Amino acid sequence: MIEIQEVHKSFGSLKVLKGIDLTVEKGEVVCLIGASGSGKSTLLLCINALESINSGKIIVDGIDVHAPQTNQDQLRRKLGIIFQQFNAFPHLTAQQNVALAPRKVLKTPTKYAQALAQEHLAKVGLGDKLDRYPAQLSGGQQQRLAIARALAMEPDYLLLDEVTSALDPELVGEVLDTLRMLAEDGMTMIAVTHEIPFAREVADRVAFFHQGVIHEIGPAKELINNPQQQRTKEFLGNIL
Amino acid sequence: MTYTFTTNDFLLMVQGAGITFLLTIIAGVIGTFMGFLVGWARTTKNAVFYYSLGAYVDIIRSIPLIIQFVLFNSFMAIAGYPMDPFISGIITLSIYISGYVAEVVKAGIESVPDVTRKAARGLGMTYYQDFFYVVVPIGMRTVFPSWTGLMLGLMKDTSLIAVLGATPPELLRSSQIIINRIQEPLMILLGAGAFYFIMCYVITHFAGRYEKIWQQKRQAAL
Ligand SMILES: Nc1ncnc2c1ncn2[C@@H]1O[C@H](COP(=O)(O)OP(=O)(O)OP(=O)(O)O)[C@@H](O)[C@H]1O
Ligand SMILES: [Mg+2]
Repeated sequence: MIEIQEVHKSFGSLKVLKGIDLTVEKGEVVCLIGASGSGKSTLLLCINALESINSGKIIVDGIDVHAPQTNQDQLRRKLGIIFQQFNAFPHLTAQQNVALAPRKVLKTPTKYAQALAQEHLAKVGLGDKLDRYPAQLSGGQQQRLAIARALAMEPDYLLLDEVTSALDPELVGEVLDTLRMLAEDGMTMIAVTHEIPFAREVADRVAFFHQGVIHEIGPAKELINNPQQQRTKEFLGNIL
Repeated sequence: MTYTFTTNDFLLMVQGAGITFLLTIIAGVIGTFMGFLVGWARTTKNAVFYYSLGAYVDIIRSIPLIIQFVLFNSFMAIAGYPMDPFISGIITLSIYISGYVAEVVKAGIESVPDVTRKAARGLGMTYYQDFFYVVVPIGMRTVFPSWTGLMLGLMKDTSLIAVLGATPPELLRSSQIIINRIQEPLMILLGAGAFYFIMCYVITHFAGRYEKIWQQKRQAAL
């Protein structure tokens, strides 16, 4: 379970998160929607401690993420994160990309790590691209590689930050299919997305971000089909 | 009576070339190691490192090497630690090249996109794991050609060690000794140039091979 309590976060004088409260249960899929600059990416980075917070608390499975005594490197193993920008390690093949963290972080013997990588690459439909370098993969394939790389650490949660936004329209589907499959497998996910139909179909709940707060949150279909707040209506009206 | 180019002259030049190569390798290795640490330290968020080592780099890069040779050598003598000119020359060369390597290393580290590093850390890698398994291999490939260029420059700069009268003489000094005796500057300098060329060629050749291996690895996968 991820518990976010009264989280505030500023960059210098810019207040980005202004009191976020959100609890995500095991097995739940929560989509975050909202305008550019409303703080969605920042929240994801705060959840796995890639950014610090100014006040409030984030608790993952009972561990206070930002407490000084918390081993954040260890905590991140259970929180996979995937970004909008392609970020495969360019000097490694697909298989080596996926095997690297298990080998170095979990000290999995190389042979097993490679087998693990094969398994996860097959799962995202890249079973025939093991020896390709990222530069030889399409955008959609690179994002699926990033998903496989995160999955190989066997995380309990996935944080997804607009993973389809940098893709050509015809490549979006294959990545969303992969996420759909993960949701069906019961993976707990917090996904920032602009794919409203995807959020409606896959998410349990949708949260609408506006200027650093969660302006409205509710069951996915209800919030998208029938938003209560004026700003949510406007946002959905513009995007759909 | 005429003076001619003897076998001993040739051997003196070969020895000089060997000394030049040795100076380059020793100062190159030590200077690269030091420069790596300096450049790395400057990319950490530590302001003390950033500014103090920034001054180190700036000073080294703004003072002509020949002055550094003399200053360092005299300073050690005045401080009560007179040094063999050869040793003091190697130390000066190492420090000198470290200033340039530091900037190249820093540029290499900073060339790795922030999101790539975040992805590595997001997988649970520690700062050092991210640094050595992701940042170094990616960044160093990017700046490897610049580093090779520094090493070629270093090889030619080793000739300035002559200002200390270091023995045995390196290539350029050996050539001058011969020129003074037989008064055939053009021929000897042409020969010395050929030696420099061959040694530089060896370095560029191996550097090129190394780069090609990286490329072939990628192409072979296609
Ligand atoms: N490292 C940083 N330093 C300074 N300001 C930052 C930093 N990261 C983000 N910001 C600022 O914080 C605000 C929120 O950014 P964030 O990336 O969280 O928004 P977002 O909701 O993800 O937007 P988008 O939909 O465009 O991705 C923006 O104004 C952004 O410029
Ligand atoms: Mg964002």
